[in-house]
Amino acid sequence: MNGFDINTIVYILEIVVGGLLVGIGVHFVPVGGAPAAMAQASGIGTGTVQLAAGSGLTGLLAAGLMMSVTDNIWLILASGGVGAGIMIGATMLTGGWIYAYAVGVPFASAKVNYDPITKFSQAPYVSPGTVGQGIPTVCYVSGLIGGMMGGVGGAMIYYPLYLINGNAGLSAIFSIGIFLVNAVLASWNIQGTIEGFHDPKFKKWPFAYRACAVASILLALAAVLITGGA
Amino acid sequence: MTVGGGAGGAPSAYDPKKLRVYGLAGSIVGIYLGAILNNVFDTTLFSFIGAVAAIFAVILGANSVRRICAYGIGTGVPSIGMLALGMGIVAVMFGLSVAEALGFWLLGPIITLVYAGVFGYIIGVIANKVIKFNIPIMEEGNADLSMAGALALLGWSFAISGTLSYADIVNDLLLTGYIAIIFIAGGLAILHPFNANLGPDEKQDRTLVNSIMVGSIVMITTGIAAILTQGAAAGLLQLVIGVAIWFYFFKMYYRLVKRDASKVVGTGLLPPSAL
Repeated sequence: MNGFDINTIVYILEIVVGGLLVGIGVHFVPVGGAPAAMAQASGIGTGTVQLAAGSGLTGLLAAGLMMSVTDNIWLILASGGVGAGIMIGATMLTGGWIYAYAVGVPFASAKVNYDPITKFSQAPYVSPGTVGQGIPTVCYVSGLIGGMMGGVGGAMIYYPLYLINGNAGLSAIFSIGIFLVNAVLASWNIQGTIEGFHDPKFKKWPFAYRACAVASILLALAAVLITGGA
Repeated sequence: MTVGGGAGGAPSAYDPKKLRVYGLAGSIVGIYLGAILNNVFDTTLFSFIGAVAAIFAVILGANSVRRICAYGIGTGVPSIGMLALGMGIVAVMFGLSVAEALGFWLLGPIITLVYAGVFGYIIGVIANKVIKFNIPIMEEGNADLSMAGALALLGWSFAISGTLSYADIVNDLLLTGYIAIIFIAGGLAILHPFNANLGPDEKQDRTLVNSIMVGSIVMITTGIAAILTQGAAAGLLQLVIGVAIWFYFFKMYYRLVKRDASKVVGTGLLPPSAL
């Protein structure tokens, strides 16, 4: 166990901020769940945790790769954010192809009448009995923001852990643990599905903020006590 | 997505309190028994006891997933399984590392258990008070889940590495990447039983037998990993015992599925007079 000094407090703060970024980032990702998989709701057709874990782990890998060549925290955070953004962007793009060309639905959001970004009318394109289909532009942009926040958060957890214990494998699996706890708390807060920052449910983020803060502090306290082994 | 029953919780033939005692005692005693036998006889042959101990923890975990998700959490059963393992992995690494720092490796499982229990309980309180789930069993359910996830991961880690020493577990599991396998396979063992069996006709015994079945599949996996870390004898022993447990409980599960399944009877086409 290393001595408790000012660095330890900085590490704890970094892990907490990382956990909060993950928790808030989940609210941006257009999670459609099972209804979206049947093209009866807008968003990506899988659960929050799978999406958050996917983008977060890609971000972690990208951050780890950058960390092997430099220890500049800004480059590492940027690499994590871009890695996770690419992952979630690719998922939404290929998912969009399937919705457009295989399922054959127009992309429309049922939560807003006009897309806040393109100003296109949405309501006429929503099939009766559904809450939107596909991944409209606003969801795509929101998803990119959320994925990048998750990636930056994941990198922000990984970076101090690696400095503490100097063991890449241990830091990665520990980051995954912290990441999953925060992602699940956030997904419980949105009750499964959300479209992005334009969704009325997005206003619930302060609850997730508080929940993730408490959880992250407890996890960070455990994280700074572990050693690299051997 | 979770569509399990409404309020009131899942009906249980086996009392959750008894299952908790059996699950925690079974896995803790198993892990210690395996570790001490391995240490005393200076061998790795008893590592399989760790994987058997993990199955006790998996039963506890699957039962608490079943109890919480019967209220409907809105995000799907997998999320709670991943939460269990997320809390568990942090607790395991914390417990083993602190025990090693204190210079007394036997304390590892106890510290893991205490941290997991406290942390899980706090997550349950947050879920009820901050996120406003208002599920009456959320606190104890999450504490159970966290302890189950932690002990299951600890049992499998011991099964692969053959010791409870932090340095060896870091070398044998984290640096080789086997931790990722037991992380996901362990998540499946805890979340899959209720996910597969949920619905109005969900029965506790069928769900729990399914969890033992998936737990033994993880044991087969750890057996394969143990061949590479501990040598053929210890690994194959684990593999064979895993296959035997799996076969026995697969047959039992099949019997329970047939017991609970409805019969589909072919009635033929409508008679011409009815058209």
